[in-house]
Amino acid sequence: MLAQLDTIQTEALAAIAAITDEASLEEARIAFLGKKGRLTAAAAGMREVPADQKKDVGQKLNEVRDAITSALEVTGAALLAKRDAAAFASIDPTLPARPLPKGGLHPLTLVLDEAVNVLRRMGFALAEGPEIETEWYCFDALNTPPDHPARNESDTFYFENGKLLRTHTSSVQIRTMEKEAPPVRIIAPGSAFRRDEIDATHLSAFHQLEGLYVDKRVTLADLKGTLEYFFREIFGSKTEVRFRPHFFPFTEPSFEVDLKLQVSGRAARWVEIAGCGMVDPAVFAEVGQKRGDAAYDPDKVTGFAFGMGLDRLAMILYGIPDLRLLIENDVRFLQQFRS
Amino acid sequence: MNVSLQWLGDHVDLSEYSIQQLDELLTFAGIEVEGVESLPGHLVVAQVLSSEKHPDAEKLSVCQVDDGSGKPRQIVCGAKNYRIGDKVPLALPGCILDAGGGKTFEIREGKLRGVDSLGMMCSAKELGLAEESDGLLILSPDLKPGTPMAEVYPAVFELEITPNRPDCLSHLGVARELAALAKKPLKGRAHYGKAKTPVRPATSDEVRIESDACPYYTARILRSVKVGESPDWLKQKLESIGLRPINNLVDITNYVLMETGQPLHVFDLAKLDGGIVVREAAEGETFLALDGKEYTLASGDLVIADSKKAVALGGVMGGEDSGVTEATTDVLLEAAWFHPQSVRRTARRLGLHSDSSYRFERGVDPLQVAGVSEFATRWILELAGGKADDELLAAGTPGTGPSPVALDNDACRRLIGAEIPDTEIDGILTSLGLEKRDGAWRIPSYRLDLLRPVDLIEEVARVYGLDGVPSTTMATFSSASKADESYDFLRSLQDRLASLGFHETRNLKLISGTQLADDLATNHRGMSPVRLKNPLNDEQDHLRPGIVPGLLASASRNVRFGNSDLRLFEAGRVFVATPKGEEIEHEHLALLMSGAHLPRNWTDNKPRNLDIHDLRGALEAICPNGLNLVPVTDGRLLCACSIEIGTGRKAVKIGMAGIVPPARARALDLEAPVLVAEMNLKKLMSVAAAEITHGDLPKFPGSSRDVAMLVPNERSAGDLAAFFESYEEPLLVSAELFDVFTDPTGVKLAPGKKSLAYTLLYRAPERTLEAREVEEAHGKLLNSLRQTFAVEFR
Repeated sequence: MLAQLDTIQTEALAAIAAITDEASLEEARIAFLGKKGRLTAAAAGMREVPADQKKDVGQKLNEVRDAITSALEVTGAALLAKRDAAAFASIDPTLPARPLPKGGLHPLTLVLDEAVNVLRRMGFALAEGPEIETEWYCFDALNTPPDHPARNESDTFYFENGKLLRTHTSSVQIRTMEKEAPPVRIIAPGSAFRRDEIDATHLSAFHQLEGLYVDKRVTLADLKGTLEYFFREIFGSKTEVRFRPHFFPFTEPSFEVDLKLQVSGRAARWVEIAGCGMVDPAVFAEVGQKRGDAAYDPDKVTGFAFGMGLDRLAMILYGIPDLRLLIENDVRFLQQFRS
Repeated sequence: MNVSLQWLGDHVDLSEYSIQQLDELLTFAGIEVEGVESLPGHLVVAQVLSSEKHPDAEKLSVCQVDDGSGKPRQIVCGAKNYRIGDKVPLALPGCILDAGGGKTFEIREGKLRGVDSLGMMCSAKELGLAEESDGLLILSPDLKPGTPMAEVYPAVFELEITPNRPDCLSHLGVARELAALAKKPLKGRAHYGKAKTPVRPATSDEVRIESDACPYYTARILRSVKVGESPDWLKQKLESIGLRPINNLVDITNYVLMETGQPLHVFDLAKLDGGIVVREAAEGETFLALDGKEYTLASGDLVIADSKKAVALGGVMGGEDSGVTEATTDVLLEAAWFHPQSVRRTARRLGLHSDSSYRFERGVDPLQVAGVSEFATRWILELAGGKADDELLAAGTPGTGPSPVALDNDACRRLIGAEIPDTEIDGILTSLGLEKRDGAWRIPSYRLDLLRPVDLIEEVARVYGLDGVPSTTMATFSSASKADESYDFLRSLQDRLASLGFHETRNLKLISGTQLADDLATNHRGMSPVRLKNPLNDEQDHLRPGIVPGLLASASRNVRFGNSDLRLFEAGRVFVATPKGEEIEHEHLALLMSGAHLPRNWTDNKPRNLDIHDLRGALEAICPNGLNLVPVTDGRLLCACSIEIGTGRKAVKIGMAGIVPPARARALDLEAPVLVAEMNLKKLMSVAAAEITHGDLPKFPGSSRDVAMLVPNERSAGDLAAFFESYEEPLLVSAELFDVFTDPTGVKLAPGKKSLAYTLLYRAPERTLEAREVEEAHGKLLNSLRQTFAVEFR
């Protein structure tokens, strides 16, 4: 009986070792371990084994079954692995992608969002105002003399009812102060319009970002620190920033801000990027008169304001040579800004 | 304004400053340097010593020149216009000249046709001193060989003076500013506020002012002057800043204008009929100006007239008939002060801008009028001879000048945010010509911009410079505003649409009248588009009432460039006017889809075109809480649908969607179906931003039944969706359409029918349903469907 079991084991292991497909493996399992298999048949012979040998034979029977089962498992796993490998062998992972549609944001949105993100970290909240404005919000309240050239019909778009398309986002300063008492710390991105023929450096409608901070004891030093921080966040921490004295009707003192930048591969040079200054007391006086209170008493509050062209910022950041690209919406242009 | 460095040198010693340093000094004074014209280094005066024919070139000659080094230098030259002994400009090796077109070239030692040439003699054109020139520039014989050409033609700065600083519109003014910044003394007087000439009030026959626009008018009579050419120094001064010399009298007025900033005019006394009258023009009065053109005046224009007619436009331009000629002997020298607004209005209305109007518009120092008249008189006597009347005739008054301004130095430090010591504040203001007396600052009469304490603070900040001011970052906290919420909402939509394959566009908000027909947003409730009064052109004469017109234009442009598969979106402001004419601004979002849904690729070499169902998919993706497209009749679109959120009485209409009529699409070169949608962002936000509350997950399994049915063609999927939505069966959870089959041939389906198949899910929240319950509910539902829609189940 023991010898017979050894023979079964030897033959079974040999047979299993020779198997190369899963069907044969199943056949072998049935042939040896199935209901009518050889080992099953041999086990049926236990009844005839003398009692004193039963223990040994039983033990042997288990050993042989384990051995065959284990061999079947090992070969089965190997065959499965082979089948898995074969299933994926014909795949060429270097084939191009099964495409998904790809989209992206307009470069101005990207620039604006970057600016807004930085300024929000600095505690500015967003503000907005109408693009169709009255002369009062666009000019009078901003201390612009009645016969200032910017008011000319040759420079500004007007409507029959005397309203105009705002020429700068600075009107939002007034809109905000009219509604809210200090402290105000706002940024206002938006469109502005000037009656310019469209060319590589001019658009009749363009985008600006306005900033205003009014509180007790806001200083020129605060303005300097704010804009330096802002521009260094956008252009890199080592960016050189300089403030050139300038003139705007609604700020005093007024400055233009230049950054030393490398533009399109040329040597670094000073690039004008923003206008800014301390809110002129005359602006506070106009606002105070409109509000009918002393919230903006020039003796009690001070403030700074700044404004910059987002189109220009986009041109500089992305090396865009012609402003018209920003309004033509050629998908081949827009695709370059997918992020 | 052009400012000559040499001319500035008359007033202040700037010799130790390089051009670059002066540029910075001016820039940080708030005077923008728009350009500097200066000759390069390695360019000197040379004298031609000899000239011989080139052995191998007919047109060249070999010259020996004296470059000041003591040793003759050999130059091969092609010009013919010089003689031996002439002084000419010589570019030495290393000299970098402008080659035009933004390029430069460097002079090197070399050979020309085999003969050594150690530099280049230059023409005026080669040095950028003239547009055209014929041969070498022949220089004054008085110049010493070796003299740098930069000394012969000193640098000229092109300055942009801000409107608040009219006092800098003269060489003396710029020199005053530079002297203050460079802490250098002025060589001469700081201004012409004091005159020695006695001033006699004019009789009304001599000078009569009839308009408020001229507060002060002076006339000086000079007799027996000799009109002729100006001396070289004067001509050179004027030419250096781009003015053309005319004759000594005119040149003197121009020179004095550029020197002091005070415009002057000289009349030929013989051509004046009676005394001077300063009056407003009569409506329609004509005037022949010095530029040879006749202008029709309006009342309000200020004229200088004699007893008969206008002889000058006050502060703008003199008249052709009363000007100085060769024959002139007696003259009237006008120095006056005109109101900026008056001069600006006239100059602008007539489009007539002169150096004079430019200065009067911005503001001239009234207290300098008499002094400058005296200064000009002195020059006329010196250069044109003759005799001046002893007295200056004057009408009106120049006023008393600016009032003193008190400055609290603490307020100054507070606004700037820097600890600037009193001595420094006082020093800065004093250097600018202010004078502290009795605790207040007396303002020089030329500083018309210094009226308030903050104006003085600006001066301190400007001169002190921001380099010395600390960078502080004090800030108030801010709460999120409504604008913040809108911004964030839009940003999330933008990101979502970009990941759905849409490209964001930004079209001009100004569109043409033709484009209005493409708009989906107006034409309801009497709204009309907003038209500009003064458009630049017909292409941009309306504010967009909606975004779709711009999107269609963008799509059209893209297709012409070969980009025909498009998913575009744009968000932004749109404008309409109410029937009462009141403008309203809204924020809109618009989508456009057209072309293949994907590029042709190896997994799909015949990709299908985008259709209305793709548009619906995109709309649902950006509004995940669900929206309805409710068919409406609207001639502007095929398959026009109103975009609605919510159902029944709670439905909010937020926009429109549909297919652009193919005829319009073809007119825009768009072929594939063009799908568009436009909606109001604020309305979308109000429903999309609804608060999210968590709901319990189902604890028990549901049971689903599929049902396919033949539905009459006129019944839409929307009808069935509405039926399921309103069907009252507590166990019914959802009904999902999973198959649509139509057969236009009528072979597989009865004519007029389509097959729709749904999966219906039944579930009870608190228990597992028994099959019997499901069957009962399902059976009732089928019955109801049969009765409502006359469907047949397949």
